[in-house]
Amino acid sequence: MTRNDPIKHFFIWPALLIVLVISIFPLIYSLTTSFMSLRLVPPIPARFVGFGNYTELLQNPRFWNVAWTTTIIAFVAVTLQYVIGFSVALALNRRVPGEGLFRVSFLVPMLVAPVAVALIARQILNPTMGPLNELMTVFGFPNLPFLTQTRWAIGAIISVEVWQWTPFVILMLLAGLQTLPEDVYEAAALENASPWQQFWGITFPMMLPISVAVVFIRLIESYKIIDTVFVMTGGGPGISTETLTLFAYQEGFKKFNLGYTSALSFLFLIVITVIGLVYLAILKPYLEKHK
Amino acid sequence: MSVRDLKGSGRWWALAGCLLWLAFTFFPLYWVAITSFKSPLGVVGGPTYIPFVDFDPTLTAWSELLSGARGQFYNTFISSTIIGLSASVLATFIGSMAAYALVRFTFEVKLLSGVIFVVVAFGGYLLGRHVLGYGQAISLIYAFVAALALAIGSSRIKLPGPLLGNDDIVFWFVSQRMFPPIVAAFALFLMYTEMGKLGFKLVDTYTGLTFAYVAFSLPIVIWLMRDFFAALPVEVEEAAMVDNVPSWRIFFGIVLPMSKPGLIATFMITLAFVWNEFLFALFLTSSKWQTLPILVAGQNSQRGDEWWSISAAALVAIIPMVVMAGILSRLMRSGLLLGAIK
Repeated sequence: MTRNDPIKHFFIWPALLIVLVISIFPLIYSLTTSFMSLRLVPPIPARFVGFGNYTELLQNPRFWNVAWTTTIIAFVAVTLQYVIGFSVALALNRRVPGEGLFRVSFLVPMLVAPVAVALIARQILNPTMGPLNELMTVFGFPNLPFLTQTRWAIGAIISVEVWQWTPFVILMLLAGLQTLPEDVYEAAALENASPWQQFWGITFPMMLPISVAVVFIRLIESYKIIDTVFVMTGGGPGISTETLTLFAYQEGFKKFNLGYTSALSFLFLIVITVIGLVYLAILKPYLEKHK
Repeated sequence: MSVRDLKGSGRWWALAGCLLWLAFTFFPLYWVAITSFKSPLGVVGGPTYIPFVDFDPTLTAWSELLSGARGQFYNTFISSTIIGLSASVLATFIGSMAAYALVRFTFEVKLLSGVIFVVVAFGGYLLGRHVLGYGQAISLIYAFVAALALAIGSSRIKLPGPLLGNDDIVFWFVSQRMFPPIVAAFALFLMYTEMGKLGFKLVDTYTGLTFAYVAFSLPIVIWLMRDFFAALPVEVEEAAMVDNVPSWRIFFGIVLPMSKPGLIATFMITLAFVWNEFLFALFLTSSKWQTLPILVAGQNSQRGDEWWSISAAALVAIIPMVVMAGILSRLMRSGLLLGAIK
């Protein structure tokens, strides 16, 4: 039930104004700048170039490289987060021994600053004094170049993402699991359904809407990744681990190439929107089937 | 024992899996904690694991950090705390008001008014900037005021077109989080610089950063608090309305006290986001109001990799959040987030 009272305006306007000022202003500014050639260092006066910045970006192999790197990191990391997160959430929901301890501890990584996480990761992956390489040597591997070789570096960034954000998946899925009705499982148990059948027949379909939302949120957030990459590899070796946001940062803050950076931001926005729409379109039939 | 509880060997497999995950989660934190107590020689010599057994702990890194030998540590800690606390308090407060309004009152916005806002804001800016030749900030301010006035005015008169309801407004708020922050951060930096030329210093100031963080946190606050308010029993409020208690007193006197657990949890989640935020802080601060993540990231390159001091600095940023994790997990028990994901 909702009611009508003029006072509602006093409740909503502060939030509305702040969001309008802080998000619409930048939007107007960047969108107009993205159609201009504008550079602060060395200063070039603004000149209207239409879609010039966009075409230049789309022809730049670096852009495609960066978009591809970000996509790999986001998709692999989110898949791992979802699989691990779902397993841990299931275990916690079914009261694994020591569940209370696990509950408190799985929250921690989410709350640690990504920058600090990246610095810790650099220590652990350090080739000479890091514990991971010592462990690898025990198993007979040579010293591995975790942060200086592209494949390993991307793997390291993905591991850090998984470390930090699986807790979010656990948290959301656990909350969802707790709302599932008990009686369906009781009926399934009477029919002698195996745990595996119960999972695929009941739990997974019923969790599908929440799963879709969680994966969606994580996918979008992963595309914005910068802090960990910035600290762990700085985009290196070369530009092989550079992500979209880091690329925009380099162009915008190191070169002050404003028009180009704004165009890049909007391409980024378009990429995210397209991925979001495609994702939802693919999943829609499954969601409706299980409603 | 319910049917859902694990039985037999499955129970032990699950336990083993959880323990493995726990080890993966905690080893990095343990590592950073012990490294901050190692001496430079102890770090370079190769990995060591247990204090007093395979290395001798020292307090060098901590005393260097706390004595300020490693950059403006105290200032950064204090400004991080001040900005974090005030931005989360403000965001929780303003966001709760909006969330409450969106749950209990009826809103109708004409789609056309929204379109008018966007068109006038864009057109006005372009007009002011490139035809009339005003500065960026001036044309933005004029365009914004004109767009807002026209949008509000147009919503009062009869207009064709679809109406947007409360859910659409919520969606609009939440969709602000989908926006890549680099778009906002960079443009905000330029806007703040322009405002600085007009005499309002916003880059590297308390106001500028807090304002940005409040806006950045509002979508989450509205998302979380809306479900919390919706779960409150409406009867209490109805009883108060029968007694002619004004809406603002219902909100401050009845609703806010009833939703204390939700407010605390939302406040803490917001605080965690603001405390850890990197991109806005990187763009919008330079020295005076720098926050901890920037200082911690800066430890990286200043004098080569001095892991003992990097670890100590990182721990300072981590410890408050670990304490919060403990408090939060207690609140989670009460089913706080159940509503948020529906």
